[in-house]
Amino acid sequence: MLISCQDLQKQYVADKQPVLAADKINLDIAKNDFLTILGHSGSGKTTLLSLIGGLTTADSGKVLIHGKDVWSGSDSDISRVRNETIGFVFQFASLIPTLTIHENLLLPLSFGGLRAGSSERADTLLEEVGIAEKRNSFPSELSGGQQRRVAIARAFINDPEIVLADEPTGDLDETTENEIIEFFYRRHEQGTTFVIVTHNSQLAQGHKALRVLNMKNGRLQEQ
Amino acid sequence: MNKSIQQQLNILDYGLHSLWQKKGRNFCVFLIFSGVIFLLASFQFMSASLTRTAELLLVTVPDITVQQLSAGRQVPLSAKSLGKLDTVFGISSIRPRIWGYYFDESNGANYTVIGSSAPATDDLLDSLLIAGSYPQAGEQGAVVLGSAVLDNLGLGDRKSFSLFRPDLTQVALHRVGVFQQSINLLTADLMLMSLEDARDLFAMGHDEFTDLLVQVANPTEIPTIASKIADAIPGSRVVTAEQIRKTYEAVFSFRSGFGAACLLASLAAFVILAFDKGLGFSREDQQEVGILKMLGWQTGDIMRLRFYESLATAACAFGLGISLAWAHILFFDGGLFRSVFLGWSVLRPTFDIVPYIQGRDILLLFAFSALPYLAATIIPAWRASIVRADSVV
Repeated sequence: MLISCQDLQKQYVADKQPVLAADKINLDIAKNDFLTILGHSGSGKTTLLSLIGGLTTADSGKVLIHGKDVWSGSDSDISRVRNETIGFVFQFASLIPTLTIHENLLLPLSFGGLRAGSSERADTLLEEVGIAEKRNSFPSELSGGQQRRVAIARAFINDPEIVLADEPTGDLDETTENEIIEFFYRRHEQGTTFVIVTHNSQLAQGHKALRVLNMKNGRLQEQ
Repeated sequence: MNKSIQQQLNILDYGLHSLWQKKGRNFCVFLIFSGVIFLLASFQFMSASLTRTAELLLVTVPDITVQQLSAGRQVPLSAKSLGKLDTVFGISSIRPRIWGYYFDESNGANYTVIGSSAPATDDLLDSLLIAGSYPQAGEQGAVVLGSAVLDNLGLGDRKSFSLFRPDLTQVALHRVGVFQQSINLLTADLMLMSLEDARDLFAMGHDEFTDLLVQVANPTEIPTIASKIADAIPGSRVVTAEQIRKTYEAVFSFRSGFGAACLLASLAAFVILAFDKGLGFSREDQQEVGILKMLGWQTGDIMRLRFYESLATAACAFGLGISLAWAHILFFDGGLFRSVFLGWSVLRPTFDIVPYIQGRDILLLFAFSALPYLAATIIPAWRASIVRADSVV
C-alpha cells in the first residue's frame, strides 16, 4: 500500500470548544489511486490532507507511506519526503511574493540542487497549466485563479509520486477548471497518485479510476 | 558541485534575493546599524590615533623630570639644585629646561615654549622634524615651531618673527625647523628654543630654569634614582617617563571609555530593536516559512537563511560604518569627537589628526557590533524556523 492511515485522530479547540477534525480514520490508498474526498466546510477534509502530508501531527494513530511511519522520523527525513515524494496544492496559492513565477516553480528544486533542464521543465509545466506568458511576473501581478495555476504547476516540478490537493479548482473559471482536471487526469495516467479534497463534484465524476469518499464530522464514508 | 554546497548556495541566493525584495525595510535597519558602527569606529580610531601619537612622542621623554615646588606651586630651580645631584650615582646626563606658556594676543592662542640646551645629534629626534634642524649651541634666536604655531603666526616662507617679553619689548627670533604632523598632538602649539632665548623671553634670572631632564644609565634603576633625587632636592617633584605614559594612557582611556560607554548604549538599543523586530516577524514572514517547509526546507535551512540575511546586513553595515569612520578621521579630523578627547579649550591651536588603525581594532569593533546583532537575530531566526508547515494551510 502506498499510503496507510491507521486510527488517525486529531482534535482542535475552536471558540473554547473541542472539535474532532479526524475521528479514528483508517484509510488505505494504493499506488496510482485517484481519491476524491467530498465534504462540507468544517468536515475535517483539510485536516486529513495535512495529516497525510505530515504538515500537522496526529493526536494518535499514524500515517505510513510505503509502510514507513515517515512523519515521526528526523527533520531531514521528513523534509526529503515532502520535497521528493509529495506535491502539495493548497486552498490558497501559497506563492512566495518576492519571487517571479518561474522562480517560484524552481523553489522546490533548491532543496536538492537544480538539475540540467529544470528551467525548461518549469516552462513546460507553465504551458500545461496555460500561464506561460506570466513566466517573469510576480504573484501580485496575477489574478487569484492564475496564482492557483502556478501553485498547481509547482506541485509537479519534482515529478512527485503523490499529489495532495485541497480545493485545487476553487478560484478557477469553468474553462480553466476543465483544463486543470484534464491535466490531473493526464498525470494520473502517467502514474501519479492523487488525493484531492473538494466541494466540486465534477472532480468526482467521469474518470475511470475514480474513488470517491465522503467526509462528515471527522469520519470517512464510502460513497 | 557537491550537493550540500549547492544547497547552501541556493539558500544564500534566496536570502540575498529576499533582502533585496524587502529593501525598504532592510535599508532602514542597514542605515541605523551603519550609523551606530560609524560612531563606535570613529571613537575607537580617534582614541587609537591619539594614543599612537602620544606613544611616538613619549620615546623622547627623559627618564626623570625634576621640578621645584613651593607652597604646592611650581617655582624655578636654581643652578644650586643642579649641584646637589652630583652625589647621585647612576645618572648619565642632566639637562636643565625652561617650560612655559606664551599667550599670542592677536591670534587668541596659547603656545607652549620649551627652552633647552642643544640636544646631541640623534636620528630619532631628527625624525620628529618635517624640515630644518634643532637650535645649535650658541645659536641665538633659533626656534623650532609646531605646525599650528607656524600657521597662526602666518609666517609663510618668512623665517624671522618676534615675540613680546613681559615688559612688552620684543625678542627677535627665526625659524630653523618645523615638527612632524604625526606628533601634532603634543607639538602643534610648541616653540622649541635655546635655554638662553627662553630665559630672555620670560625674563627669568640667568641661573634659573623650570625643570631638570635626567637620563639614567640603567633603566631598571629609574625608580631608585628618582627616589634619591627627591631626597637630594627637598620640596622637589620627581616624575618618571613611566608615570607620564600612564597619565596619558589614563586620560585617553578615561575619555574613550566614557565615550564608548555612551555609544555602546546606543548599540544596545539597536540590538534590542533588532531583536524586537525579529521577534515580531509578520504573518507574511510566517507564511513564507510555512511554504518553504512545505516544499522541503528543513528547520536548519530556515535558520541558515535568516542567519545569512542578518550576516549580509551586518557585513554591509559594518563595511560602510568603518569606511565612513575612516573618512571622518582622515578628512574631518574626527570633528564629532575632537572636543571629547582634546578638551574644549578655545586657546588650543588646531592641528590635524593622523589616522592610525590596527587589525585588532577592526576585530574588536566587529566583536562589539556585528556579533551582538547576529546574536540578537538568532532567537527570532529559531522562532521563525519552527513555524509549522500547516500554518499556510
